[in-house]
Amino acid sequence: MLLSGTDRRRQLITAGVGTVLTLVMGLVLFVGFRIATEMRANIAALQTASTLQTYPDDITRQLASLRDRLEARAYSGQALEDLRGTVRRFDRQLKELNATGYVHSQELTRALQLWQEYGPVIEPVVSFNGQPYVDSDTAGSTLSRDGRTHYAEVKRAQLFATDNSRTLQVQLATLATSLQRDASGAAARLRTLLSIGVLAALVLAAAAVWFQFTRARHERAAREAQDQTRDILMTVREGFFLLDAEYRIGSVWSDALTHMFGRKDFAGLTFEELLKNLVPASTLATATKYIKLLWGERAHENLMKSINPLGQLEITMDNGHGGKETRYLQFDFHRVMGPAGIKQVLCAVGDITSSVLLARELQESQDNANAQLDMMLAMMHVDPLQLVSFLDGAETGLKLVNTILKEPARTDAEFRKKLSGLFRELHSIKGEASALSLSSIASRVHTLEDIVSELKKKAELSGNDFLPMVLKLDELLAHLRSVREMAGRLTALKEGAHAAPAAALAAVPAPAPVQPAAARAPQQFARRAEDLVPTLHALAERLAQDQGKRFKLKLAGLGDVPAHYVGTVKDCLIQMLRNSAVHGIESPEIRQALTKQDVGVVSVAFQKAADGFELVFEDDGAGIAPDTLKAAAVRRQLVSEDEAAAMDTRTAMALIFRPGFSTQDGISMDAGRGVGMDVVARSVYALGGKIGVSTHPGRYTRFKISLPAGAASSAVA
Amino acid sequence: MKLMIVDDSNIMRRRIERSQQFEELELVGTAGNGVEAIELFKRTDPDVVTMDLTMPRMDGIECISLLVALKPEVRILVVSALADKATAVEAMEKGANGFLNKPFTDRQLNEAIAELMR
Amino acid sequence: MLHEQELKTFVEGTTSFFEVAAQQPASIGSPYLLEGTPAVHEYTGIINISGKREGVVMFTAPKAMLTVLLMKMQENDFSHETMRDLVGEVANTISGNARRDFGREFVISVPSVLSGQLKIPQKPGLRSFIIPINWRSHSAKLVVSLT
Repeated sequence: MLLSGTDRRRQLITAGVGTVLTLVMGLVLFVGFRIATEMRANIAALQTASTLQTYPDDITRQLASLRDRLEARAYSGQALEDLRGTVRRFDRQLKELNATGYVHSQELTRALQLWQEYGPVIEPVVSFNGQPYVDSDTAGSTLSRDGRTHYAEVKRAQLFATDNSRTLQVQLATLATSLQRDASGAAARLRTLLSIGVLAALVLAAAAVWFQFTRARHERAAREAQDQTRDILMTVREGFFLLDAEYRIGSVWSDALTHMFGRKDFAGLTFEELLKNLVPASTLATATKYIKLLWGERAHENLMKSINPLGQLEITMDNGHGGKETRYLQFDFHRVMGPAGIKQVLCAVGDITSSVLLARELQESQDNANAQLDMMLAMMHVDPLQLVSFLDGAETGLKLVNTILKEPARTDAEFRKKLSGLFRELHSIKGEASALSLSSIASRVHTLEDIVSELKKKAELSGNDFLPMVLKLDELLAHLRSVREMAGRLTALKEGAHAAPAAALAAVPAPAPVQPAAARAPQQFARRAEDLVPTLHALAERLAQDQGKRFKLKLAGLGDVPAHYVGTVKDCLIQMLRNSAVHGIESPEIRQALTKQDVGVVSVAFQKAADGFELVFEDDGAGIAPDTLKAAAVRRQLVSEDEAAAMDTRTAMALIFRPGFSTQDGISMDAGRGVGMDVVARSVYALGGKIGVSTHPGRYTRFKISLPAGAASSAVA
Repeated sequence: MKLMIVDDSNIMRRRIERSQQFEELELVGTAGNGVEAIELFKRTDPDVVTMDLTMPRMDGIECISLLVALKPEVRILVVSALADKATAVEAMEKGANGFLNKPFTDRQLNEAIAELMR
Repeated sequence: MLHEQELKTFVEGTTSFFEVAAQQPASIGSPYLLEGTPAVHEYTGIINISGKREGVVMFTAPKAMLTVLLMKMQENDFSHETMRDLVGEVANTISGNARRDFGREFVISVPSVLSGQLKIPQKPGLRSFIIPINWRSHSAKLVVSLT
């Protein structure tokens, strides 16, 4: 279609060349014919003029001969007849020459004039028809009266002719010369004209040949371009087609479409027909609306691009073997503008199925990792008690990991500070998991450990870098829960209904008298109070090492924690223990300077109280200054200055239980002791308990948690 | 030209009000939901409308069709956090002339309005 | 299992609001797992999600932060209603972002706004993440709680 303009122009040029050639040749022939005609007349005139030249002399001679005869009284009839013939011929031919109209020379005019003058003199001679002689026997032949007149006229004519014939002859000779010249001029003109004609014909023929040549070249180029286009359309992996104003596909499209849509008949198909039966009705409706919008010029190209709903279109089609196949296609639309607005819409379709599926497979392979759990558990021959103890320890470690994450951070340094603690916790869990051949757990922890190692290498850390970690951590915790559950079920299957372990029963208050083993056995794998002690000791040891602190952990009464409180009590203790290790207990040097014992003391006591239980947590560390808390709260606009000033120590200290207070950074710098205490408080409240704090700067911090006796369920999973 | 702002959030209404620097635009009213918008439209006959999509009572899409039915030449700029393509196509098909995603900068808003009035 | 990309979509919806509306980017703090019920600030915008995943996503921010944010937006009305509007808009942005990225897989409700306490309905398989959103000297929280 792009070629049509050029084609028309070329046709016009060819027609033009033909017309010019015809006109030029016509003109040459016409003029040539005129010249030739003129030449023929000229030559005839020339011949006449040449003949006429001799006549004046002939006339003069014949007059003389006539006179001689008359004088000799000889027979004059023949001489007169000759003269009469000559005069008549001359007169006729001269007049004819004049009558042709081709000769308009002065010489002819003059010759005619002169001949006119001959007329009165010679006419009486040639018109004589009497007898010139009278015959008598006596005198012989004598001139008759008519004869004498005739003789006189002949003599006069002879004299006139003798005087004028020369002049007339010269005139006629000149005329002949002039006619000769005209003839050669015409011949030269004709030659020139013919030369011009031939030249023009040659030029035009050359032009025609050149145009033919370029046309052939253009046609070849156009054909090559068409071939190339066809090659491109046949081999390109994208689908291309043009849509016209009726949303129909044009006659040109790329072969890739055939594969994408499983059909070949695209020409004339509407866009809607193309997608029908391949996509859900709602998608089809949106797509159709979008195509309509493309034709409206209301929305410019960028806006249209940004709202393209076919960026990743899922289509379902027959796979040719009776089954269904799902493909993902990406449509791109470009308006093709003509002089009168949008002419067509070019549509490019890409098959992105493989990349979409790849992304999906990656996702699924992660999801499927969990499904292997059953098999792995079946192969496990781990002592149930050992497994429970490991699970408790691992969960504690991961809670601590979460506690480390919880510590607010904004700067690279604050984020980086977390890494060594995280790594140590993870590493220790991984070691235990590997020792028990719990590979599904070990590999998950290993992934987390890898993330931490990668972060250590990173130049600038931010919260975004920790997103994968928190996801993996969550996944790992979920996995541990599944393992716990699965292990319970497996044991139940193994042991059957008769072998309910005493330890588990003892830890469950008021168990239902009759309970199927499958429901009861998992209890064995629930968190157990007696596991708290070794878990906390191990934790304290790691924390002390991590922070370069030295302290002793004294535990009392933890074996009495009811099963439904074990989770909460443990979570609270992990948080408080870490706070003490990181922020509370001073480094040995500072303790020495303050004349405190080198080794700090953290004590935990759980005991029955009047209306429930009481958990007391205390360290002999730096304590918390209420004024610091007040100032921070004022700065964060949590309380007004007046309110802060009016606060007593107890109220001020309670600020650390305010929702979100301790997790606001800035505050954590001043009051690190409070980190996560709002969360601790919330879980205590959730059980219907209470929490209080007392402190003496430089001396101690003490948290007292009261829990009701009867709460039956744990809020913390 | 007269401008009407339809958005259920006061903040967004005032932001649009404040940032519109077009001298030829005169704010004739603001509405907080579709029903209010139709009523106000009938009373004030605006030429340009900015339209939120998620609103109580009548949603933006329905409101657009009604406004276009009332005045086919009205120019409507959809200002919405709904960024999915089907919603955008739906709004354009119902007669909207432009689409601006929330959140937006003053510049984006001005450009969108300039584009709308072109 | 919740995917990183999903989490990032919610985070990006939140931070982009600050960047665009207040011309000052927000950064994300150290993310962690939620234990128990979340502590919320004064104002909370919530979107409910169903479909491929079920649960809630919420943006909870202290009044002090919202006040500064409104100032940056050249707003001079700091009423209770305006604060609610603002967290509503943030939630709206998060929801819009999610609709863009997840399309039909997610059914996302129109945001609602709470001032005060809130309970996350406990569902089996619910995973809860807290992502602190730091902006200027303030800190808000994005709580993603999805199955």
